[in-house]
Amino acid sequence: MRWRLWPRSLVGQIILLVAIALFVAQAINFALLLQERNRLDLTSQTAPGVYRIADALDNRGERRGDDRPRARFADNPPPLNGQRRADVENRAAAMFEDIGLNVRSIHVVQDNERLPMRRWERFRRHEGGGGSVMHTVGRLVMAVEYEPGKWVSTQIRTGSRPQRFGGWLIAQTGILYVIVLLPLLWVGRRLARPLGQLTRSAEQFARTGAADPVDERGPGDVRQLTTAFNAMRSRIFLMLDEKDRMLGAIGHDLRTPLASLRVRAESVEDEGERARMSETIDEMNRMLDDILSLARAGRSSEPMQKVDLSALADAVVEDFLELGSPVGMADSERAVGNVRPQQIRRALRNLIENATVYGERAHVSVAREDGAIRLIVADDGPGIAEDRMEEMMEPFTRLEGSRNRDTGGAGLGLALVRAIMTEHGGSLRLANRAEGGLEASLILPG
Amino acid sequence: MSERPHLLLVDDERSIREPLAQYLTRNGFRVTAVESAAEARVRLNANAIDLVVLDIMMPGEDGLSLCRHIRETSEIPVILLTARSEETDRIVGLEMGADDYVLKPFSPRELVARIKVIFRRVATGGQRVTAPDGATYAFAGWLLKTQERTLVDAEGVALPLSTAEYNLMMAFATRPNQVLSRDQLLDITQGREANAFDRAIDNQISRLRKKIEPDPRNPTLIKTVWGGGYTLSAEVRKL
Repeated sequence: MRWRLWPRSLVGQIILLVAIALFVAQAINFALLLQERNRLDLTSQTAPGVYRIADALDNRGERRGDDRPRARFADNPPPLNGQRRADVENRAAAMFEDIGLNVRSIHVVQDNERLPMRRWERFRRHEGGGGSVMHTVGRLVMAVEYEPGKWVSTQIRTGSRPQRFGGWLIAQTGILYVIVLLPLLWVGRRLARPLGQLTRSAEQFARTGAADPVDERGPGDVRQLTTAFNAMRSRIFLMLDEKDRMLGAIGHDLRTPLASLRVRAESVEDEGERARMSETIDEMNRMLDDILSLARAGRSSEPMQKVDLSALADAVVEDFLELGSPVGMADSERAVGNVRPQQIRRALRNLIENATVYGERAHVSVAREDGAIRLIVADDGPGIAEDRMEEMMEPFTRLEGSRNRDTGGAGLGLALVRAIMTEHGGSLRLANRAEGGLEASLILPG
Repeated sequence: MSERPHLLLVDDERSIREPLAQYLTRNGFRVTAVESAAEARVRLNANAIDLVVLDIMMPGEDGLSLCRHIRETSEIPVILLTARSEETDRIVGLEMGADDYVLKPFSPRELVARIKVIFRRVATGGQRVTAPDGATYAFAGWLLKTQERTLVDAEGVALPLSTAEYNLMMAFATRPNQVLSRDQLLDITQGREANAFDRAIDNQISRLRKKIEPDPRNPTLIKTVWGGGYTLSAEVRKL
């Protein structure tokens, strides 16, 4: 299965990659910062104790009657209760060394003590709505053996506040994203819009044979692509127009002598000969018509409209019945599709003609299935060998061995039907019926 | 109109003009054949022409332009000859005021039949059915589009009509609230498409009712008139 989170568009991929890279960089940054911050924190916890002890040791001689001595001297190791802080010990050892004091050993423990708040703390707490006057405070006790058997110790308050760091990181990342991704998004859109327009135009062209030129904008290389596309588009238009003009001219130029022949045929004395001549001329005209229609396929000027295809099939069948053709229509539900009705009429007529010529009788029905509309023409004929079905839809293919050798046509009927179906985004399907005969279906998006 | 109607045949193609002129002459018309629109204008001024048979594609002034000129200056009926089967040609032609058109290659018999239909209409003082094609009629929530031979319902969905249904619908749409007998309907609908109406009118009526009546068994649009025939009971607007 495809990984859904991975965007398919170029711009999406670039933006996602940049976002991931930014995030990783931020994470590394954060880790380094955190480490540095921890070191600083440790130093700031350790430093007051170290300075007090250093101070006390320096001023050992001149003892003052201090009520609250900052450091106490003792001849025995002081009692140390609490959690040992090896990190502070190490940091203190390094700091003593930096100062140039040689100490024998250092012990640091942390315990938590409930102390009365200081006035400003109480004041602040009060504003916040808190009740208690006592609060829990972290206390470090540092004891240093400066000479064998001689100790000095001190107490330091430490902050027990949790470090606020995450919020800042998120804010920082957010700002970075805004600074980096917004311009990227802007560039991306500048890139994506002309590309999208190009794609839409090319698709429209493939589907309908007509498309509007694409605005030439965006970055230089994209603009170049657009210019090239537009040039190609207008060249294809020119060629197609030329083709249409040429076909029109051929049609006119061939129909004129045919018309002349048709008029002259009337002066032929022999009645049977006259009928056969006009039949041949009609057939040539039909072939000419088919060839021109096939060559023009995909360039229809007829607009698409909503059509009840059941009514359409019914009307076509009715016209065949008027001419006495063996055609039947099954009652069908209303089935509305968006089509070019003249073209669909033509496709259906071709199928019915085939069915009556090669298959004795045509049974027409309309069915809706899986969001598609099927116009089905079934016949009672011999069907077509499976391996020749694809071939039958190619132009100028006729079924050899057909019993009706004298029935005309250039073998363009099914090719034309298929071209009409392709133009409608549908398809032509041929299948042999289980009960005998061929079933040809026009399948249209419903 | 004299015993032998005078036709003006305008076609630049000699290979069509000459044999066609002969054929038309053999079929009891007086024919003047010319090869350009300019020449045709001269003849139109000089002679009493009863009908013009006109090729659309001609060098110089084309048939459509001449057709418009004829329509602006006189009531002479015009039949267009066109080599293109494309819809646009025939629609433009009928909008230019032509009475009918035939596609090349055409059967000369059919051309003569159509000429006779037009003369019959002129003789009986019938109104020119000026270009029914290309027009749209609106009635009771329906649109009848003559160009596409299609009925469009209130939802905008097109219901294509067979030729016979279309002819019948046109007969009603152009004569709303008139009682039309079966004979009249046959006559009107056969006027344009000979032999298109082998089947009983009643059959076609019931087919049409199935398409346009909300309840085909209890028709409110195409009503049966006792002893008379049928009538389209609706206001029809030509768009």
